Amino acid sequence: MNRDDWFRRLRQDDDLQALVDDIPYARHLGITVEAVDDTLQFVLAPHPHNIGNPLVPALHGGVVAAFLETAGTLALMREARSTRLPKIIDFSIDYLRSAAPVATRAECLLVREGRRLANVRALAWQDDPAKPVATARMHFLLSDPPPAG
Amino acid sequence: MAGPTSDVDWQRAIARFVTAVPHTRDLGLTVEAVEPPEVRVRLPWQPVLLGDPVRGLIHGGVLSMTLDTLCGASVLCGLPRPEVCPTLDLRIDHLRPAVAGEDLFGAARVVHITDSVVFTEGRLWQDAARPVARCTANFVRLGERNTPAGLAEALFAGEGTDES
Repeated sequence: MNRDDWFRRLRQDDDLQALVDDIPYARHLGITVEAVDDTLQFVLAPHPHNIGNPLVPALHGGVVAAFLETAGTLALMREARSTRLPKIIDFSIDYLRSAAPVATRAECLLVREGRRLANVRALAWQDDPAKPVATARMHFLLSDPPPAG
Repeated sequence: MAGPTSDVDWQRAIARFVTAVPHTRDLGLTVEAVEPPEVRVRLPWQPVLLGDPVRGLIHGGVLSMTLDTLCGASVLCGLPRPEVCPTLDLRIDHLRPAVAGEDLFGAARVVHITDSVVFTEGRLWQDAARPVARCTANFVRLGERNTPAGLAEALFAGEGTDES
């Protein structure tokens, strides 16, 4: 699959999951995508290998970070005006609560899409959206995709 | 825990800590060296780390995950006595892409400790002259009351302790 095909599939809801599955680390973490009303929700599976602290038990904070970076990247690529490749510049996550080994959901907000840079926010929660487990923000550099072929 | 702790003892203790984390144990993260308050680790290359198979790049989240583990490990050996300290926040700068086919190396250290917070910084590289990421991560001290009894003893238990 070349880059043009990838972008074409990205913009069709039905194929978004196939795209996530093409990202080996995202598949390892067990990330899935659901359309809820008009927004995309990303879901992180509570796989045993996503545990960071088996005593609490709690999900690995770094796994939650990787989940939110994946969600932010995909949300940006789908919602951006043009088909450009996002490159992560920086990422910051605040941990608000311990994340239990249950399904974790996330939504993203494309705060600003400029000519070269984009700012994305992501929020993760478990049973109750009013009790988020983590919030993240990230900057991406937007570069033109390489010529097809 | 009695008496001063050698770097070798610390390396074994931190390795035991990292091995207790299912996610990093499954990925084969190893502790390369410990010189309190600094910890060094290696994450062996494997295809599951890929974030962009087309460009052949390691997932940015792999770097955040590794730094969270690594900075957390440095907290253990940076405190007077090991305490359980959850991550409060982590900020990472992606200096250049991490590429497929090469192991990741990392180092982190404690830069400051207060009664409530441990401040750390970390960095990752594949080629030591070309860092791929740097981070700052802060950890909350829950205090000795909230640290499981016997944590230090478990970390420094002698040979033959069942780690499974």
